[in-house]
Amino acid sequence: MKTILLHLKNNPLAILGIMILFLWIFAALFGPALLSYNYTEMDMEHQMTTPGEYGHLLGTDALGRDVFARIIYGSRSILTVALMTSLVSSIVGILIGFTAGYFGSLVDTFFLRAMDILMAIPPLVLSMVVLGILGDSSFLSLTLIVSIAFTPATARVARGALLSCKGSEYVDAARIRGESHFIIMFVEILPNTIGPIIVEITARFAYSIMMIASLGFLGVGLQPPTPDWGMMVIENKSIIRAASWTVLYPSLAIASLVIAVSLFSDFVSKVMIHEK
Amino acid sequence: MKNKSILEIKNLDVEYSTLTDKVVALKDINITVEEGESLGIIGESGCGKSTLSYAIMDYLPSNGLSNGKILFKGENLLEKSPKEQTKYRGDRIAMVYQNPYSSLNPSLTIGFQLDEVTMFHRGFSRKEARNASIEALKDLYLGDAAGIVRRYPHQISGGMQQRICIAMALLCKPDLLILDEPTTALDVTTEVVILDIISELKKKYNMSLIYISHDIGVINKVSDRIAVMYRGEVVETGSQHTIYKHPEHPYTRALINCMPRSGIVKEEVRLNAIPGYVAKRSAAETGCPFVSRCEKKTLICQENYGLKESKANHFSSCSRAYAEDVPDKERTRLKIPLENNVKEENILSIKDLYKYYGGPGKKVRALDGVSVSLERNSVLGVVGESGCGKSTMGLTVSGLLKPTKGQLIFDGIDIAVSWRKRTPEILKNIQLIFQNPGRSLNPSFTIETIIGRPMKKLLGIKSKTERRKMVIDILKKVDLGEEYLSRKASQLSGGEMQRVALARAFSISPDLLVCDEPTSALDVSVQASVLNLLGELQQESKASYIFISHDLNVINYISDYIMVMYLGRICEYGRKDEVVGPPYHPYTEALISAVPDVDPDSAKQQIRLEGSPPNPTKKIKGCPFEGRCHKKIGKICETTAPPKVYFSDDHFVFCHLSPGKLGAK
Repeated sequence: MKTILLHLKNNPLAILGIMILFLWIFAALFGPALLSYNYTEMDMEHQMTTPGEYGHLLGTDALGRDVFARIIYGSRSILTVALMTSLVSSIVGILIGFTAGYFGSLVDTFFLRAMDILMAIPPLVLSMVVLGILGDSSFLSLTLIVSIAFTPATARVARGALLSCKGSEYVDAARIRGESHFIIMFVEILPNTIGPIIVEITARFAYSIMMIASLGFLGVGLQPPTPDWGMMVIENKSIIRAASWTVLYPSLAIASLVIAVSLFSDFVSKVMIHEK
Repeated sequence: MKNKSILEIKNLDVEYSTLTDKVVALKDINITVEEGESLGIIGESGCGKSTLSYAIMDYLPSNGLSNGKILFKGENLLEKSPKEQTKYRGDRIAMVYQNPYSSLNPSLTIGFQLDEVTMFHRGFSRKEARNASIEALKDLYLGDAAGIVRRYPHQISGGMQQRICIAMALLCKPDLLILDEPTTALDVTTEVVILDIISELKKKYNMSLIYISHDIGVINKVSDRIAVMYRGEVVETGSQHTIYKHPEHPYTRALINCMPRSGIVKEEVRLNAIPGYVAKRSAAETGCPFVSRCEKKTLICQENYGLKESKANHFSSCSRAYAEDVPDKERTRLKIPLENNVKEENILSIKDLYKYYGGPGKKVRALDGVSVSLERNSVLGVVGESGCGKSTMGLTVSGLLKPTKGQLIFDGIDIAVSWRKRTPEILKNIQLIFQNPGRSLNPSFTIETIIGRPMKKLLGIKSKTERRKMVIDILKKVDLGEEYLSRKASQLSGGEMQRVALARAFSISPDLLVCDEPTSALDVSVQASVLNLLGELQQESKASYIFISHDLNVINYISDYIMVMYLGRICEYGRKDEVVGPPYHPYTEALISAVPDVDPDSAKQQIRLEGSPPNPTKKIKGCPFEGRCHKKIGKICETTAPPKVYFSDDHFVFCHLSPGKLGAK
């Protein structure tokens, strides 16, 4: 804990990232309760209001909906889905990567080739196709599909981390003690690979946000009326000249969250891996 | 005859600043090296030997801060700009590092790397540079110099690589050559050759040498004067003879005493260990650096401290080396385990064991028909150069490797299968100690979990409180206290880690312990205490050991029986006293002669083994040692496998020579 604080002191960018991240988490948790507008509420008298007027902090869109309220509500969906995807893809990735790396030879080849096939399809295209087939996307289907798209990458990281520990003598010691494969993989090896895996989870978190925003932008993300940052950008694209704020602020929201998470993830990797 | 000094270091301090605090690496170093003189620097790891050489070469890492004067021929190197320093570094002062494999660039040819030196420092043309390189290689007795320059580093052996590194350092005919443990990573037989070459070249070019090593035997061979370093300070300097015979600083004496030397055996003496370990030094600390581990400390040790000249050319910061010896139980003698040479039954019989690595096209014969047996309650020492198959043997016995052919009879059961097919009973009874204790303890677990796990798994002790009690008991046996229970491996020193590894193995009272170089990664002072502990535990538990080591002195100390291996085959096997004395196999003889002696006055005959063991992928018809043997008879050695010749009931060699020629009376 003390060293983490020391690292933070030498790393002002990480402090900035963590602050922005906390701001968004706070917004997602408590923001809606503090708002004077609902995200579906249409102010019929003030459509496309400039920011700051008539009590609309960031203005309104073509339907008179409050942009600020929609961004705050949107942070809920994007944070939830991104967190879920990074966790699910990491857990599945660890299971696959560990199995492949631990048993090696044929098992390894099988899983690696399967992952290669998945990786050959661009994740965005893969998600779009599957979501298109599934029809209306929900939290669950969005989480699942983005996780599947990300699993090959996390599996490779987990496999690499396992391979770096697999040759250690403590693994040999566990073997000649007659431990089962499961215990060796998840009790002996997993705690020692946790550094790179946590770094991977945080990095995945940033990727997930980008991916979900992109899917929203392409219209296959969460369906209206749930506010979605990516969707907000595409919805208001036609009025960008008349009301630029309707596009600008959701874009800024995406950018700030992605940058904050990336800074945080850099910091985590510095603490977890490089300083050892 | 007083010579001109070539290097003078005055009041040199080096500090490393880390994230949390400052660590003193060198404190007030004063050293002079005269022209044509060779200075040996000795000390445990972490004593600042390498830091000193880096400070001279200006290779300190970016967080290192040096203060003081380093005068090379009267000019202060620390005041020079980086550009001016290149005139000295690599040109007038050259350095050779410990690991030749990582100092050579694997993707460039050896010739290219050698040529670079003279092209840069001397402005030679490509052709001149190549000629100079070949000349330098010839200086080092590298036979086919013109052929070697075209090869890549991985295509030649470790000993040759180190010779290339030395040649590279010598290209500019430096005035001062710094050698930082140049032979530590090499086999003893190669070490002898390199040490000889170094002494010879020193005379030829009238160079000054700084030779850094942890091994006093090696230092003795190449140095005129010795400086002993401890925790960043020079605690004693003097001639080779004075340091060995009349040390004044207690650390010097302790360090010399803890080295197992030839002829010392466990039946007679316990090794002298230095308690504790080399701690990091903070900037605020004053007084004698050794005080926390010293047996002879007094109240004044903290004050009035500094290097003083006691006799001519003999400087020491303390003179209490022979102050009244604290009577200690450490030196009580052990009982002789092999009383009256009573034959015990065999616990393990290895019969015609073969282990091949690799596929059918390219078989590496790691074990090539080994047959040996091990008595209950005895220690079998396995010795040989790297690549002789000694570790493979240990791993097949412990079950990590499945032998290709042959039988391993343990307690009447054939266990020539991998660990997965062994019963829990056998797994419990055969335990393995690894070379690197840091890697054999899981860094994520506490010591209690690490030691308790085998008890739960193999003894079936489910109750946590009961396990804790047993763990505390076993920790006490390895001289560790209860406070270690909740620590993690990374918080322990190397010696403590190896003790924990021993505790883990002994916690389930095995019948057979396979020790794979258990002390090679440790400092001598710690090695001594671990060896003592191993000896004690063996007497107490009546377990048998297979003790694998490359160090003949260690093997001789701990073993009852010794087996000498070469290229996957046995050369010689017998009781310890029979193996280390004549008659012996030529290879055993060469190994014994190669071990550097701790005593500088002992003169023993040297046998130089040229070359390296033959390629293990080729099938050998005759004797594997034939190519390097100094007693080779002729054709018969190449074509016919040597016969097993018995000298006594349990002493045999594989050699064509008649016993008389092998030194038998």
